[in-house]
Amino acid sequence: MEKASTKRGNSLSEVRVHEVIEVRHLTDTAYVLRMTKGSMDFIPGQYISIGKVASIDKRDYSIYSSPNDEYLEVLIKEVADGMVSKSLRNMKPGEPIEVEGPFGFFQLKPDTLNERKHLFIASGTGISPFHSMVTSFPELNYHLIHGVRYGADAYEKSMYQSNRITVCSSRDGKGDYYGRVTDWLKENPIDQSTYCYLCGNSDMINDAFDILEAQGVPSEHIHAEVYF
Amino acid sequence: MAKKIAFKTLGCRLNQYETDTLISQFKKGGFEVVDYKEEADVYVVNTCTVTNKSDHKSRNTIQQGKRIKPDAVMLVTGCMANHRKDQLNANEQITYVVDNDRKSSIFSIVDAHFKGELVNPDEYEKDVFGFAVGEETIHTRSLLKIQDGCDNFCSFCIIPFVRGRAISRPVQEVLENARELIRIGYKELVITGVNIGRYDYEGILFEDLIEQILALPGDFRVRISSMEPEGFGEKLYSMLNHPKLSPHLHICLQSGSEAILLKMRRMYTARSFSEMVQSIRSVRPDMNLTTDIIVGFPGETDEDFQASLDRVKEMGFTHVHTFKYSKRDGTRAARAGDQVPEKVKSARSEEMRLLSEENKRAYRSSFIGKQQRLIIEKSGNAYSLGLGEHFVPVKVMGKKLPANSWQLVQIVGIESGDDPALIGELL
Repeated sequence: MEKASTKRGNSLSEVRVHEVIEVRHLTDTAYVLRMTKGSMDFIPGQYISIGKVASIDKRDYSIYSSPNDEYLEVLIKEVADGMVSKSLRNMKPGEPIEVEGPFGFFQLKPDTLNERKHLFIASGTGISPFHSMVTSFPELNYHLIHGVRYGADAYEKSMYQSNRITVCSSRDGKGDYYGRVTDWLKENPIDQSTYCYLCGNSDMINDAFDILEAQGVPSEHIHAEVYF
Repeated sequence: MAKKIAFKTLGCRLNQYETDTLISQFKKGGFEVVDYKEEADVYVVNTCTVTNKSDHKSRNTIQQGKRIKPDAVMLVTGCMANHRKDQLNANEQITYVVDNDRKSSIFSIVDAHFKGELVNPDEYEKDVFGFAVGEETIHTRSLLKIQDGCDNFCSFCIIPFVRGRAISRPVQEVLENARELIRIGYKELVITGVNIGRYDYEGILFEDLIEQILALPGDFRVRISSMEPEGFGEKLYSMLNHPKLSPHLHICLQSGSEAILLKMRRMYTARSFSEMVQSIRSVRPDMNLTTDIIVGFPGETDEDFQASLDRVKEMGFTHVHTFKYSKRDGTRAARAGDQVPEKVKSARSEEMRLLSEENKRAYRSSFIGKQQRLIIEKSGNAYSLGLGEHFVPVKVMGKKLPANSWQLVQIVGIESGDDPALIGELL
């Protein structure tokens, strides 16, 4: 009988077991889960699906770290009645964790990396793929608009050059701008040649998309990654 | 005496292709292929799991076979075999559960079974392109598989979890397969895969591959089956008037609402889709465009649904394959709130169906007075039925024409009903 080979099979789910290195708490509900990287290769902007070993409950998270890092990180916001985000928060160094991926097509266009201006618009943990991009390409010409409820939710803001990030806080005045990212966009029209990348909740992306198009940014220059 | 085998295929065109090639292989191997309603030694159910309804149908089909002959070998394959493998393996009615990756080994598995070998399907080679060319299939057209799997992970879709990651078939193998099909006498090659627009084999993209297939010698036509809009590149526009390319495209819109498309994690907007359709029509005004629409996606409002109707009307889709949203465990959309009641989904589905029929009739009527080159699919004394290059059905009354033959006809009329065939006269 012929023996198994994966030569021409399309692997259903390449589940790998990684090890937790640490959980870095950013706020009461947000944390960065750092894992061993193993042999995983990815492009900044892609996401992975993770969960505890043998658990059927897995969740997708954009990769927060850079492919150049020796570890793998994801930024997670604990969901009030969420099963996975709560259990991952309590993981201890050395514990095994299942990782599938990487997945996704949300990535910078290689031919525009050094030439164009990039506008990154994130809501909440939607900042994650941009963190990976910015740390992977230090020469990148970008401006990051981060929408949060409270200024304290500006995750690891100090990791970005201060002139390249604008935190828009909608519920307090502790960000760089008091209001939503969409308000900021209306007040700060975007140059039409800018490549725009949006990541976060679909309502924000929907509204921001319309504003950018109305400002003359061609739709083929707007890319989105939706967190439900 | 020859062993009898019966097949039942559920779901997509890719499943149909795979069953067709298996049928051919079993016939060559000395098996008698019988209807699924008849008594057989082996029943093969090629399942689908895309909706709850598909799971239900698959289970019923398995039971149906076992009712006809309880001691028959029941072999279950297809997407449900991947999605519900443990559950199926625990079902005593089922002899073998063969996942999609090993479907091409089904002949070897059944052959080994009847030779008395101990068979474990999971030990067979994985090969999603290992299907032999179907010489004796039940169709006059042949499907040409170029790709399998999908990496898009749309929020509603279970397919990437059951068909696996995208993989492209080597170019030379596709061309070799196409040459063989043309040599056997197939006149229409239907390009098939899970997400064919994502074809990429060592830098050769979907449109490059189509160009190479069209360049093969022979009197045949190529039809691109269901594709996602992101596969539509500049080169494809330039090929839309190629004499061997059938002017029919099934491009999946899924929703006309920008907000819903975002929640579905589709990679285009309704506006960009509409621009793409305008570009297609500017090159090929008579293009037959069909699509898929999901109604009742979580959070879909009346306004969102109206946007779908508006886009279907505006883009003139001549057929809308309408799906009522069905929750699939493990997908993002399954965890969403705002599920739409079944009653509302049904009403929306019906409204979409009526619009689709209206568009279909208007489009088909536009062929009256024009010519079509048919491939005859069914041959009868009362009439012969063929498909024109635009993928429109045409009946030639009172003529028993040879199946799988080319026929040039003048369209003189259209039937009544919800799926009206055109009436053609031989030229």
